[in-house]
Amino acid sequence: MGLAAPAAPTASTSDVAFFEARVRPLLLNRCVGCHGSKIAQGGLRLDRPEGALRGDAGPVVVPGTPDASPLVTAVRYTNPRLQMPPAGRLPQAEIAILEDWVRRGAPVPAPAGTPGSAKGASRGVDPAAGRLHWAFQPLRRMDPPGRTLRTPGRSRVDAHLDAALVKAGITPAARAERRVLIRRAYFDLVGIPPTPEEVEAFVRDSAPDAWQRLVDRLLASSHYGERWGRHWLDLVRYCDVPESWAQTEAQAWLYRDWVVQALNADVPYDRFVSVQLAADELPGVPPKDLAALGLLGLSPSYWKELKLAPDVIKTVVAEEWEERIGTISGALLGLTAACARCHDHKFDPISMRDYYALAGVLAGTRLVPRPLLEPESAKRVLGAIEQVRALEADAKKLQGDAARDKMRAEDLRRRAAEKLARAEEIKKGTPDFSAPLAYGVETASLAVVPDGPDRTRLEHRAGVGQDIPLQLRGNPASPGPVVPRGFLSVLSPGTPPRFTRGSGRRDLAEAIFREGAALTARVMVNRVWRHHFGRGLVETPSNFGLQGERPSHPELLDDLAARFIEAGWSLKWLHREVMRTDAYQRGDRAPAAMVARDPDNRLVGRMVRRRLEVEAWRDAILAASGRLDSQVGGAPEELSAAGNNRRTLYGLVRRRDLDDLLRLYDFPDPTGHSPARFPTTTPLQQLYVLNSSFLGQHAAALAGRLAKEAGDDPGARVRRAYLVLFGREAQPHEVRTCIEFVGQESRSAKPEEAWTRLAEVLLARNELAYVE
Amino acid sequence: MKHAESPPSHDPRRGSPPAVTPAFSRRELLRRAGGGMGLLGMALAAPADASESARGPHFAPRVKRVIHLFMNGGPFQGDFFDPKPAINRYAGQRPAEVQLRTENPTGGLLAVPTPYRPRGRSGLEISDLLPHLGEFADDLCVLRSLYTDNPNHGPALFQMNNGTITPTRPSMGSWMLYGLGSENENLPGYVVLCPGRPVRFAELWTSSFLPGEFQGTYVNHSKLEPRQMIPFLNARASSPEAQRRQLDLLQELERPPDGSPSEPAFEARLKAMETAFRMQFAASNAFDLALEPAAIREEYGTGHFANGCLLARRLCERGVRFVQVYYGNGQPWDTHSNHNEATPKLALDIDRPMAALLRDLKRRGLLDDTLVVWGGEFGRTPTTEGSNGRDHNHFGFAMWLAGAGVRGGMAYGASDDFGFRAAVDRVHVHDLHATLLHLMGLDHERLTFRYAGRDFRLTDVSGNVVRPILA
Repeated sequence: MGLAAPAAPTASTSDVAFFEARVRPLLLNRCVGCHGSKIAQGGLRLDRPEGALRGDAGPVVVPGTPDASPLVTAVRYTNPRLQMPPAGRLPQAEIAILEDWVRRGAPVPAPAGTPGSAKGASRGVDPAAGRLHWAFQPLRRMDPPGRTLRTPGRSRVDAHLDAALVKAGITPAARAERRVLIRRAYFDLVGIPPTPEEVEAFVRDSAPDAWQRLVDRLLASSHYGERWGRHWLDLVRYCDVPESWAQTEAQAWLYRDWVVQALNADVPYDRFVSVQLAADELPGVPPKDLAALGLLGLSPSYWKELKLAPDVIKTVVAEEWEERIGTISGALLGLTAACARCHDHKFDPISMRDYYALAGVLAGTRLVPRPLLEPESAKRVLGAIEQVRALEADAKKLQGDAARDKMRAEDLRRRAAEKLARAEEIKKGTPDFSAPLAYGVETASLAVVPDGPDRTRLEHRAGVGQDIPLQLRGNPASPGPVVPRGFLSVLSPGTPPRFTRGSGRRDLAEAIFREGAALTARVMVNRVWRHHFGRGLVETPSNFGLQGERPSHPELLDDLAARFIEAGWSLKWLHREVMRTDAYQRGDRAPAAMVARDPDNRLVGRMVRRRLEVEAWRDAILAASGRLDSQVGGAPEELSAAGNNRRTLYGLVRRRDLDDLLRLYDFPDPTGHSPARFPTTTPLQQLYVLNSSFLGQHAAALAGRLAKEAGDDPGARVRRAYLVLFGREAQPHEVRTCIEFVGQESRSAKPEEAWTRLAEVLLARNELAYVE
Repeated sequence: MKHAESPPSHDPRRGSPPAVTPAFSRRELLRRAGGGMGLLGMALAAPADASESARGPHFAPRVKRVIHLFMNGGPFQGDFFDPKPAINRYAGQRPAEVQLRTENPTGGLLAVPTPYRPRGRSGLEISDLLPHLGEFADDLCVLRSLYTDNPNHGPALFQMNNGTITPTRPSMGSWMLYGLGSENENLPGYVVLCPGRPVRFAELWTSSFLPGEFQGTYVNHSKLEPRQMIPFLNARASSPEAQRRQLDLLQELERPPDGSPSEPAFEARLKAMETAFRMQFAASNAFDLALEPAAIREEYGTGHFANGCLLARRLCERGVRFVQVYYGNGQPWDTHSNHNEATPKLALDIDRPMAALLRDLKRRGLLDDTLVVWGGEFGRTPTTEGSNGRDHNHFGFAMWLAGAGVRGGMAYGASDDFGFRAAVDRVHVHDLHATLLHLMGLDHERLTFRYAGRDFRLTDVSGNVVRPILA
């Protein structure tokens, strides 16, 4: 009985769904290793059931008749001469699935395939159709509707927002009080609260440009980069201490400090990103900017046990590429391109070819320590470092031998000393030997090759990039056609640009800001907006694809993104443009009717209270106690170390072992890209409030500060506490209640202790954990 | 079943001010416990609502909580639960069937010195290395055909705990907590007991992209003082009364003066604060083995693993959803050399505590809705590494389940003649995970979380429930 095309043209949707959900995964898991494109045992391929389900010996399936189908016979293990898979009988449930499928007539989807797409693995996507999605559309200024636009000096952002509010019949909330506004601006831009004096000065400043000057002053503060640098570091999964096998003598924080300084300098966003991707490949980049390469240089690394077979190691390497593509595409483009590693993207117009076109860039990018020096000096220093390490290792070995071998001890020690002396000479004789060493990358193509029968070796070809083969089903053991490096086709009208120079990172950066500019600008504008308003115009900040949320204000997003580009990709321009709006300066009090009509505040008719991130919360405690060490930059320090009063940004982040405080308070897992933080409220967090020595110490310091600044009058102390902590006057009932508490505690404790107990309570208040 | 620790009562009007102590322990509280009045303003029975974020089960669960006895390092299946006479018959030889590549080159078959015998009414064969556990043969469901994807500790640990070989996914305990919430808000819902550190660390109990409330709480129980086990459980306040008064003040200050309702987020944080306050007593109590009668301590025996098993029972009794007991620091089961010397010692160390745990759970009726899971991240080779060791083996290994929802006295699946490779009714770790979730009333294909553009699962895109073992 012949069976050229088991795909009955009448295969119903539910049958096809059954095939896709149950049968195809099973065939891929169980059979395709031997019956696929690479090895097709017995001439049978089961990776493309859309084609012919037959091997050299004829058809393997008789639709409707499991008992007559060799495939079913084989998996049932009833015929000793025909048993598949050879490694052992499938679980009964899987056999039942195959039987069921054959009984249904062995339905498979209609054959599909785009010319030029990878055989059988990539059906290809239609970039032209994909481009109809809003996020892939070209960008242009969008004038707000109505007359509101013509008011001179009126913010275009407000005009857009108001149009939607009017349409919804919502009257926006009134302007917030000044003391609320200054606190909001401080936390948003620099991440620490204003002092009572700064609040007072702003409240009294009646000049029309008071707000603008405040915003300008904060944007000029070196703390701005600390606050926004941390937002960036979340996206790029920064850590101070990478995996043990990835640790070198390089210092991760050089990258962190580079980010902080670049943001402070308002380096245009396109430059900011390009340098991080390709400082080493771009012309004219000063050596200190090589620290920017930490974005890739600090990528997660997975253990490669070189005793295992090359295919196993290739899988580990492929996992690393996937993470890097996930981070780059998620953080910069708001796309989930990593989804296309094993199959074309299920929802977005991103094909496997697109994925491997990007993966080639990473296959030519090696993580290495880099001295922040010109290439020639760097080479010399790295060579010297290597020599010194070798000499030191030799010396250590000789000293060890000396300890065991008394007879030759003297001679061995002398030789060890000579080695060390030689090492010292090299150190002294090499200019810039102790120049800062950063986690970076260089262009070098990786090949995973056998090293004898029992081992695997990683080979790097320095200075050259490479195109890599597509991996069928994401399996490196099933290579498909080689895919030239290039940019995502959906973002590239016409032919996607090829990446040919070096690793292709420079080409990639250029494509992101040329072909991808519209999307890239939308994504970044949305991130900045989200940090200012607590809610994005798109609430899926790293997914602008078809499964992402549609923008609440598409015209506003486009208008702002277009003008962001016109403003030279200046982030500080963007902050000013957002913060000058009425919308940003609104209060959080809203009539019940408005809340009912727009509970999520999608229309931005009011400001909503936002939970402070752990950094801002801890920094606010330090600021209140008066102990905040506001030094910018430098080496990290354990957060749990006694007397660590530095900003939380400088707390040591171990990739795989987060500090308790960070772990409890929603700090993103630095093993991968974090699109946004999602605050949780848990009892274990509150145990920290109740019992950590950090809060205890700073409560005592705050109590001391109050005594010093407000004297002996209990009422004055309480009022001072409210100004310091919350930037507002204490209400009479608050003053009364607090004084009563201190009086009561003083019966069982010394006065300082009683005030400390009050300070602990005030530090625990919600008002300190939220910003209005 | 809901559990709540009542805080001890105390009459603050009695006697002189309490002595200033750096911390207050449970004993101290008991000592101070006096008149009939509870600590001011404190609800006696804590509400223990399930977490709001939890999904709830998809169908009726058979298992409410899981204790995972984790033999980090990887025990050899052939020593305990998978008798293979052919190993001894062909000892020293290297038949074609064992030409499999593991981490290190291995040589001929290494004989298994300790015999097996059929145990219980079922006649399930268990090694004489585990005589106490053997008494529970009729409760054990041995899986003899497990396999995993990678023969390295790191990836295999991740596969077993997080469902993939890379450290980027939520752990299985996080998925369970995410799916079902906690039964006792006064304790962490997911506790990892390890006397030291496994070779991979916090990523083995991470919530990863799931909300942080679902992460495991790591407890190093090498020191048995409860206050040293949980971070920040060690009270800072001079006394529980003083801390209670502080919380009362906090509540009063947080109450909107005009009587308007406060923000839900504010309320939630205050509620969590009260829970944290109670947790100090509940957790101190739960983790305090000194409260166990001497006879029970005796039954479990001594050592970190015995203590871990007893702690697991105490936590499970209080509704902790998932308790993992790591056998020890590092990877004690990783017997690359002197395998046959190390194994009896390890067996001696786990035998009594495992049996005591099962007996204790049974006695208390807890085994009716608790599942105990035993196993490592992979198995070991029947062939010799070096002269007397066994290498990692991801091709095949054995585990057992006991308790709610599974059939006892049975062995499922089979390895090849030498116990090297899972051969019949193979069970991938994904299948194990699917089965555990199924027992907890969770459909592994529907327990999903949207991240980076797709719905992630513990079982990735695989996993079949192993139905023949379900009771």
